[in-house]
Amino acid sequence: MSNPGSATRPSRLMPLAVAGAAALAVAGGTLFYYAAKTAKGPEKGAVYTVTVNAKGCEPNTLTVPAGRTTFEIVNASDRTLEWEILDGVMVVEERENIAPGFRSSLTAKLNPGTFEIACGLLSNPRGTLTVTPSASSEAEKTKPPLKAFIGPLSEYRVYIGLQSSALVKDTQKLADAIKAGDLNGARLAYVAARLPYKRIESVSSRIADLENRIDPVAAYFEKREDDPGFAGFHRIEYGLYSLNSTDGLAPFADALVADVTALKARLKEMKLVPEDLATSAARQARRLAEDTVPNGDNRYGFTDLADFTANLDGMEKSVSLLYPLIEVAKPDVAKAVKDGFADTRAALVMSGNASYQTVDTATRKKLSAAFTTLAERIETINTAIGME
Amino acid sequence: MTIKHLFGATALSFFLTTSAFAESATLDLVEPIAEYKIYVSEKLEKLVEDTTAFTAAVKAGDVAKAKALFAPTRLSYEAIEPIAELFSDLDVAIDSRADDYEKAEADPEFPGFHRIEYGLWEKNSTAELGPVADKLLADVTELSKRINDLTFPPEKVVGGAAVLMEEVAATKISGEEDRYSHTDLWDFRGNFDGAYKIVELVRPLIEKKEGAFLKTVDANFAKVDTILAKYKEGDGYVTYEKLTEDDRKVLSTAVNTLAEDLSTLRGKLGLD
Repeated sequence: MSNPGSATRPSRLMPLAVAGAAALAVAGGTLFYYAAKTAKGPEKGAVYTVTVNAKGCEPNTLTVPAGRTTFEIVNASDRTLEWEILDGVMVVEERENIAPGFRSSLTAKLNPGTFEIACGLLSNPRGTLTVTPSASSEAEKTKPPLKAFIGPLSEYRVYIGLQSSALVKDTQKLADAIKAGDLNGARLAYVAARLPYKRIESVSSRIADLENRIDPVAAYFEKREDDPGFAGFHRIEYGLYSLNSTDGLAPFADALVADVTALKARLKEMKLVPEDLATSAARQARRLAEDTVPNGDNRYGFTDLADFTANLDGMEKSVSLLYPLIEVAKPDVAKAVKDGFADTRAALVMSGNASYQTVDTATRKKLSAAFTTLAERIETINTAIGME
Repeated sequence: MTIKHLFGATALSFFLTTSAFAESATLDLVEPIAEYKIYVSEKLEKLVEDTTAFTAAVKAGDVAKAKALFAPTRLSYEAIEPIAELFSDLDVAIDSRADDYEKAEADPEFPGFHRIEYGLWEKNSTAELGPVADKLLADVTELSKRINDLTFPPEKVVGGAAVLMEEVAATKISGEEDRYSHTDLWDFRGNFDGAYKIVELVRPLIEKKEGAFLKTVDANFAKVDTILAKYKEGDGYVTYEKLTEDDRKVLSTAVNTLAEDLSTLRGKLGLD
């Protein structure tokens, strides 16, 4: 059984044809009719024959409607060849190892666009394949099928995995520096360890119990800094920057390592749905605009600008995975979102890596406004790609 | 539908498998695709590391060492070929054969692994290979970067299992790929491992409904694995020329069946 993507060499087709004939003989006419009407297996679509000779493809220019299309590639040259449909340097579909005198069939579901086709020898001129929009491709533009989100969600999952591994490693370095009594090293390690945490905060913040142990600020506790419950990153920050010492921080560092390790495991179990890529980023942008940017989170070390940049990187990672879909569905939405990220990044860059203490209210307001605009734009994404 | 179509894939899959209706892809695929990317990233890290050592040996003029490193270096590349060959420019630069060039081996454009293989085995020399080695390392490094930035298309990942077995059927069983060094069994192993990995990753998604299918696939994988094991030597494999005609036939049948069977995997997972 060969699916649309596989080459059928004549030698391999034969036993199948025999098996098929046997099956048909047993199955009889009624079932045969039923199969013909209802089997929703891969259809071939319209069939186009392309002959590759020593000098190139014949025809060299093809125009086909979007959707399932079959190409019959005939190797009329004297070399084994590879036939490819190319989008820039990327291979969209290909059929390899077609021996001289043989033909191979390739069925592909093509999206609208202009592609090149490779035609035998690498020095041969490439052909052109134009795929024109069809009713189904137009409908899929604004409502992509679920499978269009598998790639983006997988990529984001890889990103979360890499960042949470970095978080565990960097937090361990912070603990090591604290235990070595290295104040400067610990301060540097503190800033570094927060970056992977902030990059995945838009999803990790859903794990409330761990977030409350990892990243609470003193204001959440009755006795503030003196409260025995005050722990996590900011408790360590308080020691390193306000008390100017690593003394007594080791237990907090060990607990933090344990908590970020648990966070990594919990994130691995977390199942995200397509809507999450945009909504978690939008929620994060709102949280920054309304709370973190006006007030700052790092009240002792004032290292907030580094945190914000990491937040923005993480948000852009998840949202950018949807760009290919948004660009096709609503180019204006794609542009607005990209501009939103660029403007916010520009507003952050302007402040450099200044101590957040020195960033005045007016500048904070501008930065907040940039995050608000960004949130509003990200919030239009899911509608644009048919999810709401 | 004509009678001719009934000999084709669509109707046959109706009769020979239990599922008459197309499956829809589900988000259960997210985890296997993500795991596959991690697998590929690890292979790429090894590929860059091994290519660095291999090209250094070529540049140092150490023919014996370069020969020894050629096949093990290719192993990681062969395992991830379905993804690596998505970038046509780099696929050509890294792994094209002399046949793709007008003047074959004599063509100055002939690059990559097989150009170096040709020099090492046919000329027993590293002469003129320095720039080819530099270019190969640069291309492999660029490949690693591009793949790390790539969102993996799920249908290419799942379809990759069949692509790898087709690759074995077309180029390794014939000894065509590594025609100067006859190290084809190493490449075979890389392709085999890559295909098996993909099946392992999607197995939990289909094992309830496709038990019989998986049983057949596993049996053929086992058959191939057993024969390959006979030819193991040290960390690798003996020369392709030692493969007996009988074993070649058994391998060929098993690999062709695997290629056919695995080509239905996309459909079973709703990715057609």
